[in-house]
Amino acid sequence: MVERKKGLVLAAAVIVALALVPFFTVREYVFSILCMLFLYVTLSQSWNILGGYTGQINVGQAAFFGMGALVARLLWVAGVPFYLSILAGGLGSVILAIIIGLPALKLRGHYFAIGTLAVATIAQITVGNILPGISFLPAQQMATYSLIPRYYVFLIIMAAALAVIYFTVNSRVGLGMEATRDDEEAAQMVGVNTFKYKMIAFLISSFFAGLAGGGFAYFNASYYWYLPFTLMWCFEPILIVFIGGVGSFLGPVIGSVCYVLLKELFALTLGEANLLIFGIVFILTILFFPKGVIGLPAKLRQLFYRRGNVVGR
Amino acid sequence: MLEITGIDVFHGDLQAVWDVSLIIEGKGITTLIGSNGSGKSTVLATIAGLLKPVRGSISFDGVRIDTLPAHKIVDAGIAMVPEGRRLFREMTVMDNLEMGAITKRARQMKNETMAWIFDVFPILKERARQRADTLSGGEQQMLAIGRSLMSQPRLLLVDELSLGLAPVVVQKISQTLDEINKTKGIGIFLVEQNVVMALELAETGHIIENGRIVGTGKASELLASDQVRQAYLGMEGE
Amino acid sequence: MEFAQYITYGVINGSLYALVAIGLALIMGIMGIFNIAQGSLAMIAAYGSVLFFQHMKIDPFVSLALTLPGMFLVGVFMYLTMFMSMNKFDPGQKLRNSMLVSFGLVLIMETLATILWTANERTVTTAYSGTVMALGDLRIPYTGIATIILAIVVIFGLHFFLKHTTFGKSIWAVSQDHDCAMLMGINVKRTTLVAFGLGIALSAFAGAVVSLHTVSPAVGIDWTNKALILIVLAGVGSINGILFAGLLLGIVEALGVYLVGVHYTGVVGLLIFIIVLMLRPQGLFVRKAGV
Ligand SMILES: Nc1ncnc2c1ncn2[C@@H]1O[C@H](COP(=O)(O)OP(=O)(O)OP(=O)(O)O)[C@@H](O)[C@H]1O
Ligand SMILES: [Mg+2]
Repeated sequence: MVERKKGLVLAAAVIVALALVPFFTVREYVFSILCMLFLYVTLSQSWNILGGYTGQINVGQAAFFGMGALVARLLWVAGVPFYLSILAGGLGSVILAIIIGLPALKLRGHYFAIGTLAVATIAQITVGNILPGISFLPAQQMATYSLIPRYYVFLIIMAAALAVIYFTVNSRVGLGMEATRDDEEAAQMVGVNTFKYKMIAFLISSFFAGLAGGGFAYFNASYYWYLPFTLMWCFEPILIVFIGGVGSFLGPVIGSVCYVLLKELFALTLGEANLLIFGIVFILTILFFPKGVIGLPAKLRQLFYRRGNVVGR
Repeated sequence: MLEITGIDVFHGDLQAVWDVSLIIEGKGITTLIGSNGSGKSTVLATIAGLLKPVRGSISFDGVRIDTLPAHKIVDAGIAMVPEGRRLFREMTVMDNLEMGAITKRARQMKNETMAWIFDVFPILKERARQRADTLSGGEQQMLAIGRSLMSQPRLLLVDELSLGLAPVVVQKISQTLDEINKTKGIGIFLVEQNVVMALELAETGHIIENGRIVGTGKASELLASDQVRQAYLGMEGE
Repeated sequence: MEFAQYITYGVINGSLYALVAIGLALIMGIMGIFNIAQGSLAMIAAYGSVLFFQHMKIDPFVSLALTLPGMFLVGVFMYLTMFMSMNKFDPGQKLRNSMLVSFGLVLIMETLATILWTANERTVTTAYSGTVMALGDLRIPYTGIATIILAIVVIFGLHFFLKHTTFGKSIWAVSQDHDCAMLMGINVKRTTLVAFGLGIALSAFAGAVVSLHTVSPAVGIDWTNKALILIVLAGVGSINGILFAGLLLGIVEALGVYLVGVHYTGVVGLLIFIIVLMLRPQGLFVRKAGV
């Protein structure tokens, strides 16, 4: 209990310190990197509550992120205050999650993964067809554009996501989620309503993914409408959680820091081949650290004590 | 003759078998008995090549086999009937049998072997075109045995013959195994929790406890011994 | 009559979807490997067909003799370097890791294709491109007829191979019980390697047909998308079902175009997808409940 209190105090201190950053620097580069970091923490932690804690692999995070961005952008550009627009974006994602979750979460194993990925690809293609162009900010909003409010929006969304998810997974609901993940059939046998826990996790997950999307729409002056729907947004959160360690609370945070730094490094040093190298590193990471950074100590131990290998599975 | 010398076997990081040595005569019926989790299946899986020993070695008729991949061990003449039967459930009885005869040698004699198996287990012939998962428990065990025999083995490993079967069925199948052993000269190494059945069927018995061999002897003597009567049959010694 | 024309195109498109999906379905059903790079591999194969045609005037259907073994080797390479090591994982981890790795492959192939062949669309224009068979008012392109025939032959052929040949059955046996297949004397390593290679080689068929329409580096993910819908419609593990699912999706999309316009075909696909998920989650063409 004491440990946990200490952790919470430390976390609050970090958030406050981050809130003070704009008083010490005005360098745009710092802000935009930190904004990306906050975005990825939000997105990957929201993936983690469903994928890591509840065991449902959502490969369609882009659909929820994109939905949040789309709704928020449309409303904001139409003149609705941005905070309402972003909230509406989060709600839009939740509605999408209900439509998809009701049938899909009844399924086990492969189907949820395939189903969510299919939804995401359909969303990307459809938005690309209907809105093929670029979304520009109206001149008046362009004129008042500043990074500082964006910075705070991302910080608040991240803090909210971390807090809600932290308290959820450490509550009775969290126990239900973990029971669902560990052995769904056994959990059902002892009377756990696994569908309920999957649904709760999915709703929380999609809500924050949608808010992150809203943040994206608020942050970027102009982008292709379909951009927040591209599959990168599906795989980045998974990779980040993967790097940091699945089903641990700090995993996505650690993963996001590593990821943003790495990505920045690549973008700066490699030109056209950026994505090519990125893809290769992506693959190597998964092949050589199949359990993420968290699994690293076990992996090292295994290397040193090479014992008889089990053939087969 | 199968010769196991001083094997240690792990499941991942967990050691399940310690320094086990066994000699299994080629022609007879041998059994390995022991309680739940004592390491019986682990020994069998190691002979069959699914697990590799960390120390020690296994040779079959003078040829070292513990370094071979599992399918080469089948080729060398050892087949296994796995615990719980493990049939290819979506396939028909015929197709299951065909999968047993996949090695080159076995494939050439497929039709003759299958005719023989239908002879031994006539019910399988009746069910030939039925899906394996529609068979009764006893029929499934017969199919599992028949499937392994399709590879024309010289030594048949059987894991938990009696598992989940009614006593009459167990008796019938164990009789059949005895006949196969006597008429075809196929050696049988049987692993069982059903100690009485196993020791009545076999000539030689070995006892395993916590991954170690703790007793070896003629089956009939083991069956009468205090060691077995107390530990496995729940009887007090005289 | 215009209506029948739409349906005809739906059937042709559906056959093509099925050709793309069949390799993904095979690899997923047999090995539990989720290869979302299948569409991108079809894209690469299609560029192969385009290049053979441009430089050597080899017809795409003829160059299959080269692209098929080529893609098989690509598959063998992919399996040995990336996917084989995943066999020791439990099914969930295998699914996730294979999906992530194959997403990395999507990035690599798309970028590579853009660097090598630019982002522009390309196509093969043969003597018979654009020629049609007229049935009354109905016009059926010869390439469309070829697509339909190819899909039927490939998919039923694959089904026959898996259910009625010894090697095919041994692939199927491995998919049901990996360890027990080893106990039967099946060389599981070689069998899975060949099965994976085969699954990737199948993308060459799709590639040949795609090259007759249009290819660009970005189409890969579109094809994968169609394949995913087909797999959910058909049910994991169904081979013949893929063809019927393809025809269903193709026809429903065509109806969608006819009724609400071309931009919403994706939404129409999504709708039948969700309806099937709700009413028959194990898929339309699988008898048992799904995994
Ligand atoms: N796949 C595995 N992973 C980890 N440990 C295992 C595995 N299989 C068996 N074990 C352990 O190895 C030991 C021996 O198991 P084994 O299956 O060989 O016993 P057994 O004698 O066949 O038992 P039973 O009569 O229940 O079949 C047990 O402690 C068991 O928990
Ligand atoms: Mg056992």
